Amino acid sequence: MTAVAPPGQAGVPQPRTPQTGTSQPPAGPEARQATQRRRRPRAAGTPAILRLLLIALTAGSVAWGVVGAWAVSQHASAADQVVTAIEPLSLDAQQMYRSLSDADVTATTSFLAGPPEPLGVRQHFEADIARAAADLAALRNSRAVAGSSPTAARIDAALAAISASLPVYTGYVTQAKTYSSLGYPLTGGSFMQVASEEMHLHLLPAARSVYAQVNAALAAESAQATGLPWIVVAVGLALAVGIALVRTQRWLRRRTHRTVNYGLLTATLAVAISAIWMVTAFAIARSDFEQGLGHGSSPAEALAQAGISAQQARGDEVLNLISRSGSTSFQQDFTAMRTRIGPGPGSLLDTAGASSPAGTSARAVAAAGHDASAWYAVASRVFKLDLASNYAAETQLVIGTGPGSSSRGFTRLESDIGRAIGADQIVFHQHATAGRGAFANLEAAVIVAALLMAAGAAWGLSRRLAEYR
Amino acid sequence: MQIRRVASDCRTLLTASVIVALTLLAGCTTRGSSGTQAGVPAAAAGIGAGDRSGPGPGHIPSRPAQTAVSLSETGSTLLYPLFGDWASAYHHQFPNVSFTTAATGSGTGIAEASAGTADIGASDAFLSSGNLVANPGLLNIPLAIAAQQVNYNLPGLGPGVHVRLNGAVLAQIYRGQITTWNDRAIAKLNPGVSLPGIKIVPLHRAESSGDTFLFSSYLSTDDPLWNSTIGYGTTVAWPHAARARAEEGNDGMLAGCTAIPGCIAYIGISYLSQALKAGLGEAELQNAAGQFTLPAGPSLRAAVASFVPATPANETISMVNGPARTGYPIVNYEYAIVASRQRSAAKARDVKAFLHWAITAGNSARYLDRVRFEPLPAAVSSLADAQIARIR
Repeated sequence: MTAVAPPGQAGVPQPRTPQTGTSQPPAGPEARQATQRRRRPRAAGTPAILRLLLIALTAGSVAWGVVGAWAVSQHASAADQVVTAIEPLSLDAQQMYRSLSDADVTATTSFLAGPPEPLGVRQHFEADIARAAADLAALRNSRAVAGSSPTAARIDAALAAISASLPVYTGYVTQAKTYSSLGYPLTGGSFMQVASEEMHLHLLPAARSVYAQVNAALAAESAQATGLPWIVVAVGLALAVGIALVRTQRWLRRRTHRTVNYGLLTATLAVAISAIWMVTAFAIARSDFEQGLGHGSSPAEALAQAGISAQQARGDEVLNLISRSGSTSFQQDFTAMRTRIGPGPGSLLDTAGASSPAGTSARAVAAAGHDASAWYAVASRVFKLDLASNYAAETQLVIGTGPGSSSRGFTRLESDIGRAIGADQIVFHQHATAGRGAFANLEAAVIVAALLMAAGAAWGLSRRLAEYR
Repeated sequence: MQIRRVASDCRTLLTASVIVALTLLAGCTTRGSSGTQAGVPAAAAGIGAGDRSGPGPGHIPSRPAQTAVSLSETGSTLLYPLFGDWASAYHHQFPNVSFTTAATGSGTGIAEASAGTADIGASDAFLSSGNLVANPGLLNIPLAIAAQQVNYNLPGLGPGVHVRLNGAVLAQIYRGQITTWNDRAIAKLNPGVSLPGIKIVPLHRAESSGDTFLFSSYLSTDDPLWNSTIGYGTTVAWPHAARARAEEGNDGMLAGCTAIPGCIAYIGISYLSQALKAGLGEAELQNAAGQFTLPAGPSLRAAVASFVPATPANETISMVNGPARTGYPIVNYEYAIVASRQRSAAKARDVKAFLHWAITAGNSARYLDRVRFEPLPAAVSSLADAQIARIR
């Protein structure tokens, strides 16, 4: 309180206009008179300006608090949504897709081997169906993808189609096994084909659609977590408030000859720190999510597609042997799947390899390429035997489990792909979690900073204002 | 709280719009998936008088359009004579409909129907899953019940005598293990029949054939050794049998068997009348219940009846050597292979009207008796109509 200067001394407006700050006082009596005429309203105007500044800066601080905290909460909740809701959903969707496809391969292979079905194979099939059903239930119960969006509607439609189709599929598989075990293997075989058609024409396309939609939601939510517009608005506001604070301090310094206004200085530091914190957190989160998507989610997606294509190719081998229609459509489809899977330019394995992070994932992708080529070599022998109608040798090569068999080749490829997907998912999860972590405490920090700013500005300016009373 | 709610609303909007854009992009790259439901718009058909509602949302017109209509059929040689009769009768009833039919083989029928170069592909077999995965829009619609008989050339046998055979004995004949007609294994099945001591000449098809598929299926279900070594298929690796001969088509089988005493051949039932006229014998085949049956109306209907309740919606079912006590063992449906998505609503209407006619009016004895086919059971007709209703 002792520092408060009496009016007319330091508090008295100096003979300088605050607007220009550099104009010299005019000399001569007329000029002095003119200056005094101008002084009177100015003397009355300074408290008004101070009051205005107080209101403006306090309001600006509160606005920064609201907009900044809002922007942070937006990004943080999108990041949280990615990590806690959509990423698990995407895993469910992928697992459902792969479980269904695996169930088909398991059922057809075991059918081809003929009754009695080994217990382990039956359990494998049942586990696939149970997992698919559990994932289906999890997906149906989840509201992670906004309930009223077109994506959600499409997901719901596809899930409803799967719900309707799954019992039809298992019904046909049961029919196939029943007829086969009763001694009508041909009828059983035709039911196995119908079951597989139900899988390939209805279930898998719907599961693929769910997976694609959920992945699109994942990418969109990740983009939302690090999207630009709100952060730009918030930082722009911080910049405006910061500039206003600095200019006010400069103006006050010239007006009052006080070098430091601690209130305003605190406010300036608070806005600077909170804004820099926000920009840094945002940059870190953005880089984390980009890394996660680029080196985790996108290779995992390519690998999931490769896995499904491998299952379809395996299905081609097996169903060709069950149907024996003389049509080359299965072989053609196998060739198409083989090109799609790779290795080879533009293939799924090459795409996944290019974006897989070094380490477990890259090693598994390389192994998958190796094992795929080995499997294709066996498959081309399979189709040669088929052409020669040597079904006995063909069956042995397709369902036998020894070294050099197609089963072995396919299983190895499958497990490589599974390992690579697992590694990529860990990469995505780590990056997404780190990205979410970048926003930790930021919302609170922005609010605290805003309160500090408002208090500092109010205190700093009200002290000056008090000098006019 | 208020702010959070507003934030979440905005985010919903934003996320939704981004997802829509991504989804549209993704839609361009996903493999074409089929429309799986029978959601057929009524506008495609069902505009003429006397239309009736088919099962499900689709309609089946009872007559073709009034304007000039041309329909094309190609495929199975077994169905060819029947299609000829159907075509002229349909043209007689609806003079504006002109029909072209061609006997090109089931494989060609499937290929042309899936390529859209023929309206109807005629096939002795249902589509393979491979065909369907490659072309999910194809339907296989049963038109009639057919069968396959085993003919032989044994001139000395008395009239009305039918040699009894089963899959296991036929397998031994085609493996070259049974070489003469009076072999003990055959005699055991035919007590009281004086079998000649002449050599057996087993005929099989030279080309890929649905007939070979059916015959080798019967052998596979009845003979485990055949199943594990040769198996079934449209072509099989015929084991070495001393006098075995390969013939092209049912015509070739018929001509070959007529020319060679002691021969045995598997031939489609629409050739049965010709075979009998040529003096060939017709075997009684043993079914899974142990009964010996001839391919005739009741035994064909009985064989199919046991599978009717289990018939899946797409009517893909193999009925070889089924459980019916009095059923004939080698029976099958003859199929029309049709694209569910036709070039135009008018074409869809005409195809639907004809197919419905074929499984109703066309299933009468007037048409089927000449080729010894049997009409579809009512439940199978209903399933066929449900499939026809899906065409648009």
